[in-house]
Amino acid sequence: MLWLRQIGQWLVAMVLQVLLINQLQLGGVCHPFIYILPLLMMPITLPRWADMLIGLAAGLLMDVFCNSLGVHAAACIMLMYARRHLIPLWVNDTERLTDVISMQTIGIAPFLKYASLLVVAHHLMVFFMTAWTFQLWWYTLLTTLVSSIVSLALILGYAWIREKR
Amino acid sequence: MQALLKFILRYGNFLLFILLEVAAFLLVVWSNAYPRSSALSTANRLVAWQYEMVSEVTGYFGLKGVNERLAAENAALRSRLENSGQVTAGERPASPVVSGQWLADREQVVYREGKVVQMTMNGMRNYLTINRGEEDDVYEGMGVRNDEGAVGIVATVGKHYSVVLPLINIETRLSCRFLKNDYIGTLQWDGRDTRFADLADVATHLEVNIGDTIVTSGLSTSFPAGVPVGVVEECRLEEGASYYTVRVRLATDFRRLRHIEVIDNEDVEEINGLRIKDAG
Repeated sequence: MLWLRQIGQWLVAMVLQVLLINQLQLGGVCHPFIYILPLLMMPITLPRWADMLIGLAAGLLMDVFCNSLGVHAAACIMLMYARRHLIPLWVNDTERLTDVISMQTIGIAPFLKYASLLVVAHHLMVFFMTAWTFQLWWYTLLTTLVSSIVSLALILGYAWIREKR
Repeated sequence: MQALLKFILRYGNFLLFILLEVAAFLLVVWSNAYPRSSALSTANRLVAWQYEMVSEVTGYFGLKGVNERLAAENAALRSRLENSGQVTAGERPASPVVSGQWLADREQVVYREGKVVQMTMNGMRNYLTINRGEEDDVYEGMGVRNDEGAVGIVATVGKHYSVVLPLINIETRLSCRFLKNDYIGTLQWDGRDTRFADLADVATHLEVNIGDTIVTSGLSTSFPAGVPVGVVEECRLEEGASYYTVRVRLATDFRRLRHIEVIDNEDVEEINGLRIKDAG
């Protein structure tokens, strides 16, 4: 049941990302990615290698829709690897953490830190790998910053509503 | 042996992480260096079809049918008009309206109407997906324009859809010339504002005025000469530089792009064949 909901959530996030956010063309530096939300919230009960393979699959699918083969895949693998190292920083007993990663399960402050760190890291990788050059260093950095803030606002907004419910 | 096994067990996840990342990076390098496979891009039928469904809904609801007919008619008329022009070699197109001639004196340019199904705008590497592919006789390297001006070049062809590299992708280079004096330069996008691009290699002895019209040069097989590209917005001379930095306001408004025409130069095989003979 938990996993069924996870898959459903992931489908909704993908559809929103591909058909709505990617098509909005918000402006030169604003390209938020919300499709990583289900990856962030995924329970940590699976083995780590399975986590990374799920990241690879989710990233590759996004790449097909964005014509950016490899870029989102690399960023998502990194995200799935890093999150398993981040969670123990705030949660002592990870064995008992079988539910989704959310504000309720790991606390509001840790979730804020967890989400912002991973979103920024993911966006950094995506934008620098898309540019594939350091020529536009400042512009790419600005794109990362603006997009990360917008993504985070959307992701935390969703997490907050979920918390209230 | 036991030590190695222990090592793999201990660091297996880290090793897998490195392995997967290397694979992903190689994929990026590979797809930047070679033409993308049409299955793993938006030229994929299933992917493009989804986009098309959405664009059907968001299209001009009532005016949709009318629009499509008009676009098809436009494309047909343009082919006829320009092929009847009988412009001979060396003659410059008089105005953008009767543009579109590879300097030759027989029919060779065919315009095929199509629609932009989707546009990926992820910053610097933007792509368009159009609803024309192999079955509509669309091939890699063909130019794409709309009623305003040049749009881009076909990069990946699927069966029913193609991915187009638009002028607003940092990879795209387009050979252009000044309409007034035929001087040639290369158009390139800087990855920022979708309304502007830069013209490189413009020597400082030339007189460049704001508002000068830039058109395609006709030196590539993608575009005939004289397709509007834009007008000069700004012309600066950086200190110590021997070339002008010419900023061009693009003729095509990419934010409103919907109907396009694929340009088919029927002599392309012959021209490319000559090149190969020349090289060999």
